[in-house]
Amino acid sequence: MSHHESVVVVGAGLAGMKASLMLAHAGKKVHLVETLPIIGGATIKNEESFPNLECSTCLVAPIQQEVLQSPDIETMTLSAVEKIEGDKGNFTVTVRKAARYVKIADCIGCGMCYEPCPVSVANEWEENLGERKAIYVPCAGSLPNVPAVDKEHCLKLSGKQECNACVEACMFGAVDLDDKDETVNIEAGAVIVATGSGMFDASSLPNLGYGKFPGVYTPFEFERLFASNGPTLGEITIRDTGKVPAKIAIIHCVGRKEQGYCSGVCCMYSFKFAHFLKKKLPEASVYNLHSDICVPDKSYQKFFDGVKGTHTEMLYNSSMEDLKVSSNGAGLKVVYLDEAGAEREIDVDMVILSVAMVPDEGALGLAEALGIERDARGFFKVLDEGIVSVESSREGIFIAGTAEGPKDSQSSVIQAEAAVGQVLAFLESCRPEAAEALAEDLKA
Amino acid sequence: MKAKIGIYVCECGPNIGETIDIPRVLETIPALEGYEDVELVPKSFGLLCSPAGKEYLAKEITDNGFTHLVVAACSPRDHNSTFIGVCKEAGLNPYLYKIINIREHCGWIIHDKEAATDKAIQYIRSGISRVLYQSELFERQLEITPDVLVIGGGIAGMEAALSLASHDRKVYLAEKTGELGGKAARFASLLPRQGRGADVIREKIKAVEENEHIRVHLNTELESSIGFLGNFEVVLAGNGDDEKTDLKVGAIIIATGYRMSDPGSFTGYEYADTDEVYSSLEIERMNGGEGIALRSGAKPASVALIHCVGRQEKGYCSRICCNYMMKIAGYFKKQSGATKVTEFFFDMCLPHKADQEFFDHSVGLGIDFKRVKEIGLSGTSVEFAETGGGKQKMDFDMVVLASAMEPSEDTEALAGLLEIDLDERGFFKEAHQTTDPVATSIDGIFVVGASQGPRGVSDSMLLAQATAGRIRCQLKPGGKIVPEVKVSEIMEAYCTGCRTCLEVCGYGAIYFDDQKGISIVNEAVCRGCGNCFGSCPSGALRTKHFTNKQLYREVTEALK
Ligand SMILES: Cc1cc2nc3c(=O)[nH]c(=O)nc-3n(C[C@H](O)[C@H](O)[C@H](O)COP(=O)(O)OP(=O)(O)OC[C@H]3O[C@@H](n4cnc5c(N)ncnc54)[C@H](O)[C@@H]3O)c2cc1C
Ligand SMILES: Cc1cc2nc3c(=O)[nH]c(=O)nc-3n(C[C@H](O)[C@H](O)[C@H](O)COP(=O)(O)OP(=O)(O)OC[C@H]3O[C@@H](n4cnc5c(N)ncnc54)[C@H](O)[C@@H]3O)c2cc1C
Ligand code: SF4
Ligand code: SF4
Ligand code: SF4
Ligand code: SF4
Repeated sequence: MSHHESVVVVGAGLAGMKASLMLAHAGKKVHLVETLPIIGGATIKNEESFPNLECSTCLVAPIQQEVLQSPDIETMTLSAVEKIEGDKGNFTVTVRKAARYVKIADCIGCGMCYEPCPVSVANEWEENLGERKAIYVPCAGSLPNVPAVDKEHCLKLSGKQECNACVEACMFGAVDLDDKDETVNIEAGAVIVATGSGMFDASSLPNLGYGKFPGVYTPFEFERLFASNGPTLGEITIRDTGKVPAKIAIIHCVGRKEQGYCSGVCCMYSFKFAHFLKKKLPEASVYNLHSDICVPDKSYQKFFDGVKGTHTEMLYNSSMEDLKVSSNGAGLKVVYLDEAGAEREIDVDMVILSVAMVPDEGALGLAEALGIERDARGFFKVLDEGIVSVESSREGIFIAGTAEGPKDSQSSVIQAEAAVGQVLAFLESCRPEAAEALAEDLKA
Repeated sequence: MKAKIGIYVCECGPNIGETIDIPRVLETIPALEGYEDVELVPKSFGLLCSPAGKEYLAKEITDNGFTHLVVAACSPRDHNSTFIGVCKEAGLNPYLYKIINIREHCGWIIHDKEAATDKAIQYIRSGISRVLYQSELFERQLEITPDVLVIGGGIAGMEAALSLASHDRKVYLAEKTGELGGKAARFASLLPRQGRGADVIREKIKAVEENEHIRVHLNTELESSIGFLGNFEVVLAGNGDDEKTDLKVGAIIIATGYRMSDPGSFTGYEYADTDEVYSSLEIERMNGGEGIALRSGAKPASVALIHCVGRQEKGYCSRICCNYMMKIAGYFKKQSGATKVTEFFFDMCLPHKADQEFFDHSVGLGIDFKRVKEIGLSGTSVEFAETGGGKQKMDFDMVVLASAMEPSEDTEALAGLLEIDLDERGFFKEAHQTTDPVATSIDGIFVVGASQGPRGVSDSMLLAQATAGRIRCQLKPGGKIVPEVKVSEIMEAYCTGCRTCLEVCGYGAIYFDDQKGISIVNEAVCRGCGNCFGSCPSGALRTKHFTNKQLYREVTEALK
């Protein structure tokens, strides 16, 4: 029985990066596949992480650097898994690598090529709150610190018009507009899926006014608004009007009922937002409209106690269906039912909708490409969800992080570490010696 | 031999090439004052980190026979490891090299080229003077034993043992009581999503007992432990007899679990020890036996289940009680569908994706859920106020309390013995809460299950599997470990034995030699953080690669 000792890790968030580093330390060759031009996942969108309000970059950047510098990890950005063939221990994973149009080995990340590019488009990584060029990195501090050219918008690559501005601007000859997409086959013994999650579509609940009122924000929009490397350089101002909000409502549990589960992290990031707001806007009034408070880690209650009353007024919202966000002329009006079922009203300038974590929109396609199942909610299914398992429905493929279900960073790391343990045990069991030993045991 | 230092300035395209006057740098360096005995060879190159640049630099080192190397380029975050690699390839000990950041620190932030050049020269001079005082350091490889000791035979400890035991890795499992399984062994069932119920626990016990690579020591506790990752020497002691077992293990996993806090100490529950008031754990035990009955033997007709007992006082939510209280409510409903079951809760904590379904199912069983904002108990009568309502009182036959889970009784003693930290709540503390949650402050000692914080069975097992992952990566059978090179050392002659350094070392790397009356650094444990170096009042401590002389030279030259 032949087998491979290398591992494909899909998704370079905290879970995927941690898993890759551990596998590299264990002497395995790792192929880390990431769809975006950068690695880091959801954590790098946040300036600070709960519960200790540590700077997220400081938490993650050393991990990103170590991944990029490890000789045993091949980081494949702008890449996606197309299909998998073969059997446990002996997979061939087909990965499609989109052209970056910038040679990673030659680029030093000086950024001289952005300015001359004549194209400006909305920056989707910044939740469309800012703009970027057709040659770009999503935000300052991106790793790898190497731009990519967006071929859909680049004048030359889209065939709209001749342009060579970035090529000329680069002193290092790093821009290569003749770069081509590539398909590679990777032999691997096992696969870890760590592709993270998506966010509930707030515009599907019209009573909340998302997409209608500029003052209504999603969590990641707010994270980017607060971030000092974000589109407003960390200034909290309302889009379109540029107004600094004086009153802000943070609405918990958006989409909980529709999804049929509590995400276990939204209470905490909602409290983190209250802290953020008070830090930058000490005079502002902040309201958290909540139902059940879910603070399940040993340190989370303390975090909650630290903001309750001092940073935010806690308002009990007894019915999500009856909550309505509307315009009051100058700003927004939030109408809700309090604990006694009585109608209440608050006037605010800004509303942040703490939406549920949901399966990533690419999860279905990936499940099909990998031949693995998803659970009833659309997250990747593990063999024994009830007890504990990081094994997917297909032998040799493992799941970690929020790809398996909503969870905080700590739990994502724990699951990644557990997945590595299982992968290493699994690869050992695939070795011919192990098969022989087993046969011996059976004979005896 | 006369020192010969290669000084290589990287142009980094226009980044340094255009912001700093490199020809002036190259001219100035050989004429620096105070280096008459040293041969200084400054050169520049286009892009040192490129493949061509690396090849050039390696060849330069060999051809010129440099004794030391200074690279003036970008941030060490970007390319320190690149040039360390070049040194190694060219046969120069990498501790005789230093990178100087003249891009971010000079070229990029000073817009006046002359001023930027002056600062770059100053930086390079400081680097030259430091590198002259650097010494060669060498990596060491240490043999390890892959075997593991697990302390505590609950579900977490058993899962850790099962995930690690194999033909080339033995696991010793020390359990304080006479049986395996911990608290969960007594549960009649687990949560519905946990499917197969308490059989899971029994299966695990059987699997541990039958595994030839796991040696179970019942009625046994840890007596002492010294050593470090890969090489711990531990002594186990029987708690009923004088039997001692000496073991050599590579890692230690703590899985000593939790205990229930005493509700009597929480406001509103002063009389919680009255007759028909039970702790949730007591109900689990009763349910496993004859069924849940009052002291009279009769089955209760009405039961109050109270959540969050002690949550506020303890300052944390215990994560699993909302779920297990619904399970317990189900026990009563199963015993008799007519039992009136009321759950008093503050917040419903349902963090797992399947928990909401269980709640909806429980509502369907006819359990009356009351969300309260305050609650108190006298006898079996519950006084409460619902959110949005006034004070009420209800009488019950039986009351069940979910009091907070707290660290098990030996936690403090064990932490002291192993020299690891506890958090402010008294649970074992993680090396880093977010990025390194199963490790502790001491390399090679891990914490799993409810001893790390309140957790259910699934999470406890997941932590155990995560630890198994960590240990598999760090301690490969037949493998070796490479401890930190830049460690601290104590100069015997200067140490007065004041023990200040023992206090500041967070990694337990310093021990006291009673015979000599001085402190000694265990180099295999030291992480080179330098805390002790700064604390020693007698100047007996030295951190390699960060010696007083090196730092003094670097700083004074930079400030000249
Ligand atoms: C608004 C918000 C704030 C939060 N704040 C905190 C906090 O302060 N503290 C905390 O502990 N937790 C916080 N969390 C939770 C935390 O973000 C997650 O637990 C964590 O990011 C999960 O890590 P992950 O690696 O599983 O997934 P992610 O970080 O989401 O990473 C997944 C990666 O996979 C990539 N990917 C996706 N699909 C594919 C594909 N098909 N192929 C290849 N790559 C793919 C993605 O681009 C991404 O890089 C927050 C969550 C939200 C929503
Ligand atoms: C009423 C109740 C119901 C519950 N129901 C569920 C449920 O349905 N589903 C679920 O997932 N979780 C449930 N839980 C939680 C569950 O009990 C814990 O998650 C689980 O027991 C934790 O396992 P553990 O191995 O970490 O700790 P423990 O079960 O506490 O085991 C620790 C072990 O270590 C031993 N030990 C302690 N100190 C020492 C020492 N110094 N040296 C050697 N050994 C030592 C102990 O004797 C014990 O055997 C429930 C909890 C309660 C209170
Ligand atoms: S492509 Fe060239 S100009 Fe653009 S960041 Fe990279 S090195 Fe600089
Ligand atoms: S070639 Fe494309 S990416 Fe480059 S500057 Fe022109 S439009 Fe921008
Ligand atoms: S899990 Fe539920 S009962 Fe337990 S402390 Fe948390 S909120 Fe209270
Ligand atoms: S350098 Fe740090 S780890 Fe090493 S002995 Fe000193 S205090 Fe301890």
